[in-house]
Amino acid sequence: MNYAIETDNVSKSFGSVHAVDNVSLRVDRGEIYAFLGLNGAGKTTTIRMLLGMIRPSAGNVKVLGQFIGHQGNGSGPWAQVGHLVESPSNYPELTVRENLEIARRLQGVKNPKATDEVMDQLVLASYADRKSGTLSLGNLQRLGLARALLHHPELIILDEPANGLDPAGIVEIRKLLASLAHEHGATIFMSSHILTEVDKLADRIGIVHKGRLIEELDADRLEAMRSLQLTIRTRDLVKAQEVLTSRQYKTATIDDSRLIVKDREAVDSPELIATILVQAGTPPTHLAVEQENLEEYFLRLTKMDVVNV
Amino acid sequence: MNKFASALWAETLKARRSKTPLLTAIGFTLAPLMAGLFMLIMKDPERARDMGLLSTKAQLAMTTAEWPTFLGMLTQAVAIAGMILFSIVTSWVFGREFSDRTAKDLLALPTSRETIVTAKLVVVCAWGFATTIFIFALGLLIGDLVDIPGWTVALATQTFSDVLVTAGMLFLLMTPVAFIASLGRGYLPPLGWAVLTIFFSQIIAALGWGDWFPWSVPALFSGVVGPRSAQLGIHSYVAVFLTGFAGLAATYVYWRTADQTK
Repeated sequence: MNYAIETDNVSKSFGSVHAVDNVSLRVDRGEIYAFLGLNGAGKTTTIRMLLGMIRPSAGNVKVLGQFIGHQGNGSGPWAQVGHLVESPSNYPELTVRENLEIARRLQGVKNPKATDEVMDQLVLASYADRKSGTLSLGNLQRLGLARALLHHPELIILDEPANGLDPAGIVEIRKLLASLAHEHGATIFMSSHILTEVDKLADRIGIVHKGRLIEELDADRLEAMRSLQLTIRTRDLVKAQEVLTSRQYKTATIDDSRLIVKDREAVDSPELIATILVQAGTPPTHLAVEQENLEEYFLRLTKMDVVNV
Repeated sequence: MNKFASALWAETLKARRSKTPLLTAIGFTLAPLMAGLFMLIMKDPERARDMGLLSTKAQLAMTTAEWPTFLGMLTQAVAIAGMILFSIVTSWVFGREFSDRTAKDLLALPTSRETIVTAKLVVVCAWGFATTIFIFALGLLIGDLVDIPGWTVALATQTFSDVLVTAGMLFLLMTPVAFIASLGRGYLPPLGWAVLTIFFSQIIAALGWGDWFPWSVPALFSGVVGPRSAQLGIHSYVAVFLTGFAGLAATYVYWRTADQTK
């Protein structure tokens, strides 16, 4: 199988710090792969290794079928790779158009209209002649994305693509990335710590924590993996908690003015809980079976990992 | 060649849009202006004293206000001020990519890193020579305005070629500055390096070993401490050339192999 990205037991240490530890990734062509982790989990270091900016301490990296490592650029797959690493950077004294024109020429794109096209695509046309040093954070992010997409790459590697964008911008970029992958066959590898972003866009998700890939799963499986819980609101949460823990519902915990019960029996038969609470004189004002949200799932997973370590 | 032309276009655009070339050129014009002022004072010291340009106690090292003295001063100014000018330019061309965090966008491209480094050095070279030639031309104009005797075309031609050779040596000494700007990821380390080399070039030249110390060679060549032939030998020029080559190799190797984490 010819993967877009393939890493075999890649590790990177900076002195005694293990930034990335034995990560093996397989990203299929045409897939949107989200690389999920907290700050400092090793996402950016991994991305820099994929792009040949950092050499792995151990292991191999293959991008679009070519080994990355010693060749630097020029001889790599770079004409077919677009990237945005960390915060978008630019030459502040140059205009948006000039910044993109530099990228176009260094990417070896012959078509002089490519710059205008990508500015239209990312709604930057009205800023074309503005010095990029005067742009807002959101527009700088768009400029960074424009640079990554300018040459219609097969593989797009994006570090936190939603950074700095407003909610409407996030939706717009999400649609753009989805269409690049699903209609134009591009492969997208994106890192994120915004879990709801990943949930809506990715086909597959890798969760990285303290440099290790601790979970890799299809987006639809993620739905199934997230546990169910019963969320209760009542006028007297403490009393309700006492009543439930005195029965067999040991997991009842108060969280943010809600009572959360994760026992299987409670999730399966919420009507029993309602009856108990009514009889105890604290009738529920709200009772719902909910799926654990992504943040909770993620924290559960990373905490488990901490315990395991 | 096509990729090199693209990289050169990009580097030229960055330099053109920056205020640094203009500011360095303006700073450098002080050299011929000061030389011209000296000539004015030398022509008529009494009048200069009356105008307050000169302290009554001043002892002037130079004795005559004429073209050979003036052009000699100009060459020496290029050697010493040029070291500062070239270092600022090199620090800017390389260091800005790290200060503005744009270096990461130059690493994973179909245009090789060596091509980009080469284009940068070409811009440093062109920028340095253009400013040097501008200063020389300005010097001729000022000399003409001050109206000093002793002009010959042969003298002017000889001085011009000396100025160009001095600038060429300065350029060779800039490759270590480029390396330090890359290694230190910004402007300050290469500027610190430049100050240090200028400082040591004075001390080592004063100790009499300047012909072996590459950073002293341009100043000795320009005649700062007397006639050139006395001290410099082929080994001096070889030392300058080897320093340039070592700096170039180190810069290429650094851009190719070092971990780029910023």
